Amino acid sequence: MRGQPSLKTGTTKLTRFGAMLSRMAFLVIIPAFTAMIYAAAIQPALAVSPEEMLADPVLEDRARALSKELRCLVCQNQSIDDSDAELARDLRVDVRKRLSEGASDDEILTAISEVYGDYVLLRPPFSPRTYVLWATPLVIILLGGALIISTRRRTIISKTNDAPANPPTNPPVDKAEISTPPSAAPRSSAQKSSGDNRLAGALLCLIVAVSLVIYLMVGRADLGDAPLADRSDEIAAAAAASQKTEAGLNAALQTAREAVADDPDNVGKWLQLAMRAAAAADTDTEISALTQAEKMTAGDPAIKSLLAEALSRGADGQVTIPARRLIADALTANPNQPRALFLAGLAAYQDEEFARAVAIWQQLQTISSADAPWIDLLAENIADAAAAGGIDLAQDTAESGQVRGPDSTDIAAAAQMSDEDRTTMIAGMVDGLAARLAEDPSNAEGWQRLARAYQVLGNPVDAQRALIGAADAMAAKIQNTALTRTAIMADISALEHMVTHNLEADFADDATRLMLRLEQLGENRPELLYLQGHFAKLAGDIETARQRWNELLKRLPEGVPAASRLRKEITDL
Amino acid sequence: MSSRRSPRMAFILPLAAFLVFAGFAAAALFATLRGERDIAQLPSAMLGKPAPVTQLADLQSPAATVSVAQFAGAPLLVNFYASWCAPCRAEAPALALLAKDITILGIAYKDNPADTARFLDDYGNPFIATGIDRDGTTGISWGLYGVPETYLLDSEGIIRLRHAGPIDRRVLNEIIMPAIGEMSAIGEKSAIGGKPAIGGKPAIGGKPAIGGKPAIGGKPAIGGKK
Repeated sequence: MRGQPSLKTGTTKLTRFGAMLSRMAFLVIIPAFTAMIYAAAIQPALAVSPEEMLADPVLEDRARALSKELRCLVCQNQSIDDSDAELARDLRVDVRKRLSEGASDDEILTAISEVYGDYVLLRPPFSPRTYVLWATPLVIILLGGALIISTRRRTIISKTNDAPANPPTNPPVDKAEISTPPSAAPRSSAQKSSGDNRLAGALLCLIVAVSLVIYLMVGRADLGDAPLADRSDEIAAAAAASQKTEAGLNAALQTAREAVADDPDNVGKWLQLAMRAAAAADTDTEISALTQAEKMTAGDPAIKSLLAEALSRGADGQVTIPARRLIADALTANPNQPRALFLAGLAAYQDEEFARAVAIWQQLQTISSADAPWIDLLAENIADAAAAGGIDLAQDTAESGQVRGPDSTDIAAAAQMSDEDRTTMIAGMVDGLAARLAEDPSNAEGWQRLARAYQVLGNPVDAQRALIGAADAMAAKIQNTALTRTAIMADISALEHMVTHNLEADFADDATRLMLRLEQLGENRPELLYLQGHFAKLAGDIETARQRWNELLKRLPEGVPAASRLRKEITDL
Repeated sequence: MSSRRSPRMAFILPLAAFLVFAGFAAAALFATLRGERDIAQLPSAMLGKPAPVTQLADLQSPAATVSVAQFAGAPLLVNFYASWCAPCRAEAPALALLAKDITILGIAYKDNPADTARFLDDYGNPFIATGIDRDGTTGISWGLYGVPETYLLDSEGIIRLRHAGPIDRRVLNEIIMPAIGEMSAIGEKSAIGGKPAIGGKPAIGGKPAIGGKPAIGGKPAIGGKK
């Protein structure tokens, strides 16, 4: 007798659910049906090409059906019937060949899955390996059903226990009942344990918290409106800009091609074509242009290196065998060709001859000027190679007796230590370097390393000293070499550091000295104008400051942010 | 008592099931991100099976044929490649190294023989011979789904390893070399005639391998192209 009401309720619910479902199904089925009619009317473009098809329509139908069962292993979410991949085509042809040899459908599927595995079958077979796969949905449905029924039953039981005078009396199934809420969910508070409450509360809090975070991030009232419709211009502009860039690159490439056609004996034109092709990511053109240039210059090492680089870029960044030949040639002709050295190091690295890679790259590091564009990348690569080969760079250089300080290698290694260890390690290296530089202040690169280390340690004052040391060392070198530009850059960066860290007062003498030298060296560089204005302002000479900055403003292109900032500074004077 | 527990179970059970599922998904995702799991590598059904009977025209002397069977008796590496395939250029140095240790049979997959010959001139020829698979049917019989693809056969012609995608240093040291080493260790015991595969010489794979190699521009080279 007890089981009956619950059973009845269950049936009622199910029937109601069924009625609801059939209504909803109607909503789904009609559009689906319409879509099917359309699909039948508008056949999608076929991947199968006419020449693949079999003459016998029965066999051809079987072939199509089989093709729909087989996964394309290139486009892995398509069947070979849908896929345009070449492998899919080959497999379609293979299926048809087997069919015309009289194989049955099963034989064909088995034969192909023996080679490609069950993965090739879009409908996995029912085998011991796939029992779990096939059974899981069934198990979930059964478990869920059991869970629902048992919960329901308990609820009813407890309800009848709570209120025995009021047994549930459900009227027979009635369509009208759909509108009335089902038996007002008997959920007396007595059923809920405090643990349930806590869990539910926690979940609720979590949902609220997550919603709040999302709201604060993207939905706040003070954030500007950004409806998609309004942004369509922005989106279109971005697309147009990228298209324009691409078109620009292609146009430049075309111009370069024409230039080469007009003047095929000009090596410069060929090199330009190679550069433009590289910018447009057209490796084939780049390689052929460089090959031509290499021929015309009878194997110029720089061009050989460029060609080696282009060849390697065309092979996913691996230094290929022809590229290695070119590199070897280039280095024979000029052992200090930087690009060839870089690639030689890379080749060694890819061969996992890390010690050799480090040695080659360090050689490149010593012959490169401190502001060479590849310096950072090089240091990164050396660190990488040293880490991979377990090479201790610090010890290595101590043996060779070079003056070296903590470079990015050591700093990268330091990043993985605990804060304390790191500070100790860098501090130790920094002290050693500072001592060596005190003995030999002419080492500009050493000073620059020291400055970088102090910056990492958060010590702008000592970094400033090191930068001044670097600038002085550079300036001293000018006498014998043509390093003016590097020296100017060193002076400027020392002064810029001073300005950004508000150290002008502490280094007033140095500032005057550096400014003076910069004025002697500098050919009226914009940075110099700014600095002159800045120091004039500090000295209280507002007139000179205004004059310098106005001069600088004239040289800045309109609309750059720096120009508006500068204008504001001038008004503030 | 039971009536108090059951609603909680109804809540906890699905949650637990979901968490277990999410755990597996997360493990797979992180393995992929760390590069331990390569989604481009499809499971191979050919492992442990004898290599398909393969007899192809020889690239060097088109009148003659070259077959896999003729190299039986010693381990053999079968490499499918093509001149039109960029990763094949990238793996050429690795194959050149491998050729010192093991016989490599090349199969030019869907390639013009003239182009193949030029490719071998440019990038080196580590192959004892190259068979011409002009229409790709041999590839299909091996379960190939892209080039380059490499199969390692033991001295009895059973496929022991398959690698899809270019052989870079990591693949060479962590996958190919250990497999060859393992096989030669077995081969020494059973000593099935033929030339000794690798005479006890330790494989290059002693060194700890690393993840990506810095390519030009510091980016790791991309492997596993199809």
